[in-house]
Amino acid sequence: MNNTDKIILYDSINEIKIIGEFTGSIISKYKDSIIFSENIKITDSEGINISQGLLVGFEDISEKKIAYSRKSDFSWENLEDSALEYCVLIPNDIMELYSEGQFSDAFPFTITLLHTAGLYLNDYKQGINHLDFFKGEILKNPVALIRNGMLIADRVVINDKGDPVFYDCLIVGRDQKEDLNISFEPLANVDDKVVEFIIILGIEELKI
Amino acid sequence: MLLFENTKQKLLYFLKILGSPFKKFVSTGEFKEELGLVQSRQELLESITNIIENNENFILPIIGGVGIGKTHLYWALKNKFYYHNTVYVSLENVYKKFYYNTYSEFIENLGIEPLRYIANQLCNSWGALERKFGFFHVADINKVRKTAYENWISKFDDEIASKDVINAITAHQLDPYKKIDAERWFLGELMDVRELSRLNLTHDLRKEVNSFLMLKILIENSKLGSVLFIDDFEKILSMMKAAEEETEEVEEVFDPSWLYGTQNRSLPEIRTAKKILDKILNLQKIHGIRTIITLKSIDSFEEIKKMIEEKNRKLLLFLKEPLFLLGLDERDMFQFYKKAMEQFLENINYVEFLKENPDSYYPLNEKVLKYIFNKSNGNPREIIKFLIKIFNEIIFSYEELDDILVKYE
Repeated sequence: MNNTDKIILYDSINEIKIIGEFTGSIISKYKDSIIFSENIKITDSEGINISQGLLVGFEDISEKKIAYSRKSDFSWENLEDSALEYCVLIPNDIMELYSEGQFSDAFPFTITLLHTAGLYLNDYKQGINHLDFFKGEILKNPVALIRNGMLIADRVVINDKGDPVFYDCLIVGRDQKEDLNISFEPLANVDDKVVEFIIILGIEELKI
Repeated sequence: MLLFENTKQKLLYFLKILGSPFKKFVSTGEFKEELGLVQSRQELLESITNIIENNENFILPIIGGVGIGKTHLYWALKNKFYYHNTVYVSLENVYKKFYYNTYSEFIENLGIEPLRYIANQLCNSWGALERKFGFFHVADINKVRKTAYENWISKFDDEIASKDVINAITAHQLDPYKKIDAERWFLGELMDVRELSRLNLTHDLRKEVNSFLMLKILIENSKLGSVLFIDDFEKILSMMKAAEEETEEVEEVFDPSWLYGTQNRSLPEIRTAKKILDKILNLQKIHGIRTIITLKSIDSFEEIKKMIEEKNRKLLLFLKEPLFLLGLDERDMFQFYKKAMEQFLENINYVEFLKENPDSYYPLNEKVLKYIFNKSNGNPREIIKFLIKIFNEIIFSYEELDDILVKYE
């Protein structure tokens, strides 16, 4: 299911910037990280402001790549020089579909991690690959950065080939014309070669 | 190549092999009745339809003698109101655990799916699907329960029952590890203390207030309207009368005051009957429940009316004027016979008979049917009994068909 009407709030590549205050389910891509937030304020004078968003990505600690999710306020005054790539507001009808997949009684034995952890990182030097370890398991709250976009799902299962299968997922990505698209897929089978990273969000970080 | 076939003779052979088209003369709430109502009863059905569609809470008495087709009317209503939850309860079978049994009947009719949907909607309204950071459902079960208690505290009198229902609904929706047990509780399964305490509950649905509350939630949150058809309502009166006669006639060796005290001389049967009436009247607290009761006579209706008036005059507002279910007229009986035979022939895949003999009453004839009608005074049960008798004779007797029919002309 696709919906592309009035959802792109900011796109640095296509030079889209919609002035205003927006609330709802907003995803932003910043460097190689993803920000989830309930609000965003875009003005000409103050740039873009997000309060109490959740930043998800990898950081270098002692020459190691560690996955993190961190609650914070974000502000970009000078958008031209910032690494903020885009901000999209997920339409309500897509969010409703996404919500319907939550608390699914078909998957009562899902593994929920307490703290955010990296499941997979496609990196030549410091790559992470725990896909084999979790083969056949159901993991809750995965977030993935894929070659041309990002994916947030209710759960992920690692299939017998070691590829992640995402269930009830929202996909935000660019098409061949570099336009941004949003879609909901009940099931997405992703080849791990196109995945940049998969992070499993910890429930403690979400509850705080 | 078959040049000629005696279709009537063939039907007789089929009857002898397959048995009578008329087998059952008592309708029950368990077995679906396929045949609709006859022409003269369509008006009654329309009247009931109007009342159901234009009122949200009422008690509608349907008065009709024994075997007149009151239970059959239930099936006609159920078929007509397929977009309602139409549920049958007979007081002959259900007079203990009334709410529990009525709730079970609703669940049996609806299935578990609407209840799951209702539980989901209630949890949503209590904030269970609040999205953290715009995306993540992190259900705080205690917070959801607190919101639910606050919402319900003014609505329901019984705090323990409210807590039980809220805990069951939230466990069902938000705790995947307790979901199966919570669903068992929803379905009215008997649960021991250990199972209940795991769900943080005090009672299962055998507890009267719990089953009443679940019934209320089910009916008030259902997208469909609800019609409760209470058959044999006279059981209440007959229980009271039987107990009263017993006290008058039987010389008592045992003095009931030893058990029941001198103040309250009423026997358990009388108290049970009164309790059922109270419970049925209490159902009117459930918004949107349409109750139809069946009675055998207008006198019974007057007695019930008096009893309701004694309890609470305001409840008379819910009581509608009774509708009467009369016997069949001659045309109805012919129509009923034709329909029943058509259905039988369709079931045995012998519709050619109908094509070749569209106006025939074979194996009976008009005279026999008129004889049956006169003898039975238009009472459907008596008509069916006659038909069963004659068809059995046709099937099992070695006499010629004409000889058998002559006896009934």
